[in-house]
Amino acid sequence: MSAHAEAHSNDHHGGEHPPAIYLSSRVPQTILGMLLFIGSEMMLFGAFFAALFFVRVVNEAPHWPPAGSHLPIFVAGMNTIVLVTSSFTMHWSLSSIKKNDRVGMQAGLVLTLLMGITFVVTQAREYSRIGFAPGDSAFATTFFGLTGLHGLHVIIGLLLLAAATARAFRGHFSPEHHHGLEIPGIYWHFVDVMWIIVFITVYII
Amino acid sequence: MVVADAQHHDVHQAPQHQGPSGLGWLMAPGYLRVLWTVPMMFGVGVGIMALIRWLEGWGPIWQGSIVTTLSLITIPLGFLGGIGAFDFWLRYAIGRPTEVDDHRSHGAKDWRGYFKVNTDHKVIGVQYVGTTVVFFLIGGLMAMIFRAELAQPGTQLVDTQTFNGLISVHAALMIFLFIVPVFAGLGNYVIPLMIGAPDMAFPKLNALSFWLLPMGGIMMTASFLVPGGAFATGWTSYPPLADHQPLGQVFFNMGVQWAGASSIMTALNFLVTIITMRAPGMTFWRMPLLVWANFTTSLLVVFATPFIAGAQFFVAFDRVMHTHFFDPAHGGYPIGYQHIFWFYSHPAVYIMILPGFGIISEILSVMSRKPIFGYRLMAMSLMGILVLGFSVWAHHMFVAGMAGWLRVPIMISTMLIAVPTGIKVFSWLATIWEGKIHFTTPMLFALGFLSMFLIGGLSGIYLGSVALDIHASDTYFIVAHIHYVLFGGSVFTIFAGIYYWFPKMTGRMYNERLGKLHFWLTFLAFNATFFPMHWIGLHGMPRRVADYAPEYGTWNLLISIASFALGASTLVFLYNMINSWIRGPKAGANPWNALTLEWLVSSPPPLFNFDEIPTVVGHPYEYGVKGARHAVLNGGAVHAPDEVAVH
Repeated sequence: MSAHAEAHSNDHHGGEHPPAIYLSSRVPQTILGMLLFIGSEMMLFGAFFAALFFVRVVNEAPHWPPAGSHLPIFVAGMNTIVLVTSSFTMHWSLSSIKKNDRVGMQAGLVLTLLMGITFVVTQAREYSRIGFAPGDSAFATTFFGLTGLHGLHVIIGLLLLAAATARAFRGHFSPEHHHGLEIPGIYWHFVDVMWIIVFITVYII
Repeated sequence: MVVADAQHHDVHQAPQHQGPSGLGWLMAPGYLRVLWTVPMMFGVGVGIMALIRWLEGWGPIWQGSIVTTLSLITIPLGFLGGIGAFDFWLRYAIGRPTEVDDHRSHGAKDWRGYFKVNTDHKVIGVQYVGTTVVFFLIGGLMAMIFRAELAQPGTQLVDTQTFNGLISVHAALMIFLFIVPVFAGLGNYVIPLMIGAPDMAFPKLNALSFWLLPMGGIMMTASFLVPGGAFATGWTSYPPLADHQPLGQVFFNMGVQWAGASSIMTALNFLVTIITMRAPGMTFWRMPLLVWANFTTSLLVVFATPFIAGAQFFVAFDRVMHTHFFDPAHGGYPIGYQHIFWFYSHPAVYIMILPGFGIISEILSVMSRKPIFGYRLMAMSLMGILVLGFSVWAHHMFVAGMAGWLRVPIMISTMLIAVPTGIKVFSWLATIWEGKIHFTTPMLFALGFLSMFLIGGLSGIYLGSVALDIHASDTYFIVAHIHYVLFGGSVFTIFAGIYYWFPKMTGRMYNERLGKLHFWLTFLAFNATFFPMHWIGLHGMPRRVADYAPEYGTWNLLISIASFALGASTLVFLYNMINSWIRGPKAGANPWNALTLEWLVSSPPPLFNFDEIPTVVGHPYEYGVKGARHAVLNGGAVHAPDEVAVH
């Protein structure tokens, strides 16, 4: 779909074809679409934050976390550093292809993928050793709810990046055409920023 | 640069399209492929559950309720994959050549084209309207069944759980499968035409958004078939009640996700289309009000719908994973659900009426042959409703036990939202004032809307005040109010819109006499059905009950009889639509002498709408203004309808 507007510069292979599209905005359609989608995603996170707010603040929970539950702040903090770093490698990848540096693009993507996978694996190990289950208390419910929703978004981001990586190694993308890289990148930055908010809200405050 | 060019070469080296042969039919997108993708995805769902339960050591491995919940995600995915909704993106993801200029799935050559994944916004629009009308009929039949039950005190036809299931599925289908998506359908057909675009911004996403919709509808309807019957908690599905209901409940929780995802994607598509694909000269202040209305609605959909998704996920988690979002015994907060739910569902009532406002603005101006009164204020009041709409959700919860201090601020914001709505009503009245009114069927429905929506809006102001709301909560007064805004309001605008654009969509004219008959039957039966509900509601008849005190018997019998007449009036509509589509007289390009761009092209429009890009040179509603033009075609063909009578 990203190439909808670019398509018309190509020769047609028969059949009926649309007239050239007049674009009334300089914002690329796919980027605008992704930004709106991210707005929608933020509201989904908002619903989960609202659930946390109700359980903790409105319900006046006496101890948070409840006695006997401890959150591994150090491990999650390390994980935060990994994920934030991966945003910079993603940015490196995109600026490389803008300079027609294909190796830089590929290396940046692979590093980003590896760090994203590290994040997910660390979180999975954290879940298995944390000492409480989602059904134990409303505290545990909101903890797994928010971190789980975020983890799902990391996995979606990784799938998008995996597709971009596959195409990067198959010779796609150029200094002029790299929406297929830029858009997963925007999503990845969103996932990172959202993690910082989740980390502060769930682990620190 | 060699590498950079590879992408473009790929396009041309794409495999040539020959019809599949032999086993190829099972691999090509279509209903044959569905035969194996659906069982496969069902197996994937079962496998995921078995793996997790085996790893965690939970027994038994097989849990029917969990399999059902997972299947409500995996089976629709299998179906969508089977018919080919994901083909493009899967090819893209693995780096295979994608044919960006592939228009094979664009447009419908015959009726079969409407049953496929189709990227033409006009086909998708018709698919939407057709599908939603089917669910409108199903939801209406359910209303007939429970009205039959309510005709007398006592229980005669259905038991109480089934009754609750009927009212719940009726409401859920009417809201999520009719009113919300039918506007998406009309918008899909009309918006690209109105702004001078060849299609939507993301045609493949558009096709996917449509196909997500029937998944949710079939799910909700099929919930009657599972043990324990359909979900019976009303369309609001409040926990803790919803946590302890039979299995049918998850069909609501999951059905809403599919319908919600569909409407978010369509709204996103509308927004990008309206922002980036307007014809030259079509500034925001020259857009028809229908486009403005859908722009506003789409913003509401994109930013509010995730909240109902969240609310339904919480309930599903509480049921399947035994979490405690809403269980006070473990520190949960039950009223939290209502806050999150209504934070979507109040904006949703504007999602269900703003596109209708747009339709009415078009029709009143065209049929009165006058410019719309206060065009800019009409657009800005839409934006006012958008902003205020997010601040009034808790007026549904005055009796729910929410924080007491929240009541008065919410009451004030609720009263305030009557201001932009009032601006619109007075502008419409000023538009038809001293106009040359043509009483065609769309105009009759538009005027019907204007009067009925006023009644619904006024009872809404009553209910916005805390004192009266406490008295009227959970009575038939609420039922009357909601039907005056959603039937007398939204459904009348939908009928108006379908009649108005019927000649554009089909190329044929509907039967005007039958249209008028449909209007008067609907209008009279509607009022006979719902007006007495104000009365019995204020006298204390509770809603959502199968049995009631005998003193309400006479009124309920009359209401039931009127409701059957209302149901029957729909048959006139259906006959008119089907018969006129097959053998109605040919309609010209512009039967209403309207100025907006969709009437500039033939009926039905060409495959890509405009052979040349139109240039917009003026306002869309300059009816009766000598020499006024909205748009010209580059070829010099000037579009200026003479002021002639429509009939």
